[in-house]
Amino acid sequence: MDKNISSKQILNDMISRHYKEALEAKKSGERVAWATSIVPQELLETMDIKVVYPENHAAVLGARKDAPAFLRNAENNGYSNDLCSYARVNIGYANLKESAAGNIPMPDFIFCCNNICNTVIKWYENLAREMRIPMILIDTPFNHTFDVPGHSVKYIREQFNHAIGQLEQITGKKFDHDRFKEVMKISAETARWWKKATALAAAQPSPFNGFDLFNYMAVIVCMRGKQEGLDLFKLWAEELQGKIDRGEGPWKDQPEKYRVMWDGIACWPHLADTSKILRKNGINLITSTYPDSWTIVYDSDDLDAMARAYSSNYANRNLAYGAGNIVQIVKDFSLDGIIYHSNRSCKLMDFRQYEVQRQVQEQTGVASVIFDGDQTDPGAFSLAQYETRIQALMEMMEQRRNERLSRR
Amino acid sequence: MNRIEKIISALEETANHPAKAVKASMKETGKKAVGCFPYYTPDEIIYAAGLLPVGLWGGQTDIKLADKYLQSFCCSIMRINVEQGMKGMYDFLSAVIIPAYCDTLKCICDNWHVAVPQTYLIPMVYPQHRKIAAGVAYLIDEYKRVQKELETIAGKKITEKDLEDSIALYEDYRETMRHFTAIVSRYSKTLNAKTRHLIIKAAYFMDKRLYAIKIKELMEELKRLPEEKLDGIKVVVTGILAETDALLDAFVQNKIVFVADDLAHESRQFRTSVRSEGTALERLAYRIADHDGCSLLYDEEKKHGQLLIDLVRENHADGVVVCMMKFCNPEEFDYPIYKKELEVAGIPMLYLEIEQKMDSAEQIRTRIQSFAEMIK
Amino acid sequence: MFLGIDIGSSSSKAVIINAQLKILGKAVFNTGAGTQGPEKAVGAAFREAGISGEKIKFSVVTGYGRMTYDKADKQITEITCHARGAAHMIPSARTVIDIGGQDAKVIRLDKDGKVENFVMNEKCAAGTGRFLEVMARILDCSIGNLSSLSENASEEIIISNTCTVFAESEVISQLSSGAKRENVAQGAHKAVAKRVAGLGSRIGLAPDVVMTGGVALNKGVVAALEKETGQKITVVENPQIIGAIGAALYAWETASKLS
Repeated sequence: MDKNISSKQILNDMISRHYKEALEAKKSGERVAWATSIVPQELLETMDIKVVYPENHAAVLGARKDAPAFLRNAENNGYSNDLCSYARVNIGYANLKESAAGNIPMPDFIFCCNNICNTVIKWYENLAREMRIPMILIDTPFNHTFDVPGHSVKYIREQFNHAIGQLEQITGKKFDHDRFKEVMKISAETARWWKKATALAAAQPSPFNGFDLFNYMAVIVCMRGKQEGLDLFKLWAEELQGKIDRGEGPWKDQPEKYRVMWDGIACWPHLADTSKILRKNGINLITSTYPDSWTIVYDSDDLDAMARAYSSNYANRNLAYGAGNIVQIVKDFSLDGIIYHSNRSCKLMDFRQYEVQRQVQEQTGVASVIFDGDQTDPGAFSLAQYETRIQALMEMMEQRRNERLSRR
Repeated sequence: MNRIEKIISALEETANHPAKAVKASMKETGKKAVGCFPYYTPDEIIYAAGLLPVGLWGGQTDIKLADKYLQSFCCSIMRINVEQGMKGMYDFLSAVIIPAYCDTLKCICDNWHVAVPQTYLIPMVYPQHRKIAAGVAYLIDEYKRVQKELETIAGKKITEKDLEDSIALYEDYRETMRHFTAIVSRYSKTLNAKTRHLIIKAAYFMDKRLYAIKIKELMEELKRLPEEKLDGIKVVVTGILAETDALLDAFVQNKIVFVADDLAHESRQFRTSVRSEGTALERLAYRIADHDGCSLLYDEEKKHGQLLIDLVRENHADGVVVCMMKFCNPEEFDYPIYKKELEVAGIPMLYLEIEQKMDSAEQIRTRIQSFAEMIK
Repeated sequence: MFLGIDIGSSSSKAVIINAQLKILGKAVFNTGAGTQGPEKAVGAAFREAGISGEKIKFSVVTGYGRMTYDKADKQITEITCHARGAAHMIPSARTVIDIGGQDAKVIRLDKDGKVENFVMNEKCAAGTGRFLEVMARILDCSIGNLSSLSENASEEIIISNTCTVFAESEVISQLSSGAKRENVAQGAHKAVAKRVAGLGSRIGLAPDVVMTGGVALNKGVVAALEKETGQKITVVENPQIIGAIGAALYAWETASKLS
């Protein structure tokens, strides 16, 4: 990579190339898959299949304020406003097939893993049915125990084999197990570097600039099994380390006053507003539950470990894990506060949030606030309410800091 | 009161007063009771352990305590179950089983430990890939785990024979219920929408052996009656469940008869049989594998719509009534697909968004009446 | 002299205190953000205190309209201000319930009267003053008379819809099927109380529980809240100006730190 180009530039370039190549591949008759965000993409990468991620695409349409047309289309077709807005945007897009904010090719088959939620099963079922295309499912049973139980690991591992069979049938190609090992190695390595880079945010001041995490996330979703993804995170880590060494904080014009984590998905249609209000108050968003979501790390060649890793996404683990994980993040990143996004789209995150907030509060005493919003439906968010809650959070953080200082 | 009226009124009484009915069943049979959350639980294993499976599908309790854990956009059945648990209304149960079919149920499982610590929880996960061998094997492992828990509660080992006997009893119950729902159109006044619902619902609060006997008696008695002329509208009803009283009264007032249903609370519980070969647990696992047309179980072919169309055709129904449980994502996702298929098939449809607790059903009444006027 | 201004969605309040924290002037105007209400409230408070604007050393604005009011020296949220005002008036307060026009909040205070934690309603207006306004409109009575209307309730009515829009149609259909206005008024109070009690259960209501904000003047809501929460609720004197008092106290504190 050209050392004079920043990782941010490469990132933007990679993402636009990712979509462009997928569209071109489709045009030239290659098979394209749609997949969920934490799918075992190793299987697809091994088969050299072009993949696009509807969740990522919906986020792009949301951020570029082009979601409403697709939300309306889904609603007109009978989809309730209560459903996940990523699903509604994508289903609307599958109908309309054209967005000024960026296009994706229509899939030849879809690949779904419910380690993020069971909603994706229903969403993908509908896609499969409407487009009459095959669906591959990797079912990762919800872990109500702290760890992934043995019979779940066995079930998931056997589904990998089942999925390989389906892939061979769909493509008419043999699955190359040597290549698979290679991809597993790169994927696990990319995940390690993603974790490593995002962990650098722990420095004080943090080298992270607010919503960095949400930008780089696109690559860990879309290019986890590719060498260029790995290279990007190495470069990013290098840049961040440089900033830390030089003692540089997030912003040139103001210091980092407070450090917070964001629980849940971004409010894409209001990304600028939500971020501006934080910055205005000197609040730096340095981490979330995301870094661990894609830290899918395992030894290559060990399918059991891979099965366990895919089932271990925090959304698929129990509340004790979820709360404990945030408690650890508060400590590791020296956080002053937590912003919980009660995201109308994500019942799986929402319906545990109240209790997680209480447990984290009890164990860390860190200030926190919950606000209502949605990942892509602009209507579920009120700027005035958000601003008041964030300011009140800031006031609590300020008061706690003053108390700490006066005790010294 | 004649015999038919007596049997029906006893069943209605049971359905309308679940806690009282369950406690009476416990006393009558000497069994401990285990609560079963929606949508499918291994009732046969519970029964084989000498325990009484009890259905927990919400109720009419006001929400107050559950707000501590759940936002207002959580489905009403789950909010009410948590509320009732927190209020101590389930304290007489030896345990509850919560199966994680949807994202909401996963969260309820997690919250239960802290919200209702006094009521022992057995969490369960059913495989979504239920038709492949790995899925069946996984489910059998889950059954075995739950079986051990139940043995501890019952203080006895469950033998293969216990399981086979229990399966035979449940198969008899399911077959009886299929007969029962099939005769509704012939006795559409006696078995109006509300009565039909309450009779089916009573099963959740009684010993299935005793319940099946009652239903058979009722059908025997009904056969002696002349058939009742059906002068209303015949519909197939789909959804999670069809409550409240106000909703059911509106169907009765407008002479809308449920000639068949695809409700999770009703026919989805008994329309699929176990397979005849295999070990007891294999037979139970294959029942889940063979059960189709339910929004809670993975089906890439989306057979839900065709199932509704078949029900309409087989029962010469005039249309489909959708009782959409508000905030139920799995059902909401199935709707646009079967809606389109029903439209293509030219089948009229009435869409009602319901919550389990609706004190005012004015708008719903109007819609039901308009639908009835439209069909006539 | 120190000025606190609280600009709500439906009313504006102003309070002037001196360095001994004594209230010299106070005013409430029943129009809120985006109107002349704030100016009028400030003007009236000055007249009551018998002073002019130059005497103000520092001013703090709070409330829904705080962002768009540019004549104050500083803006602070209503959460922090209500907590401060309530703790000042009733030092034993550990929980503050404030039902405003757009937001309902439950605030937990530590032993020094500082905000420890708070919760607010979901985005919709269920359980807020807005809900009561809508109910009063349907019942054709003023918001101030809603409470006395409910005192004559003879039968319990449940308004089950938490959404204001749906509750509106629910209530209209109840009235059309013969429900008495008094009973509906009481039902509305109960509906608000339930939502707020639910909110409170998320962080727990430690005694003493103090209620601030204009809705605290509605005895029907307070009684319903006591019933729903099982806690005694103390209504602070002049509840509607507590946010402004808190703001004035912050004005005093900030100015003291500066000098």
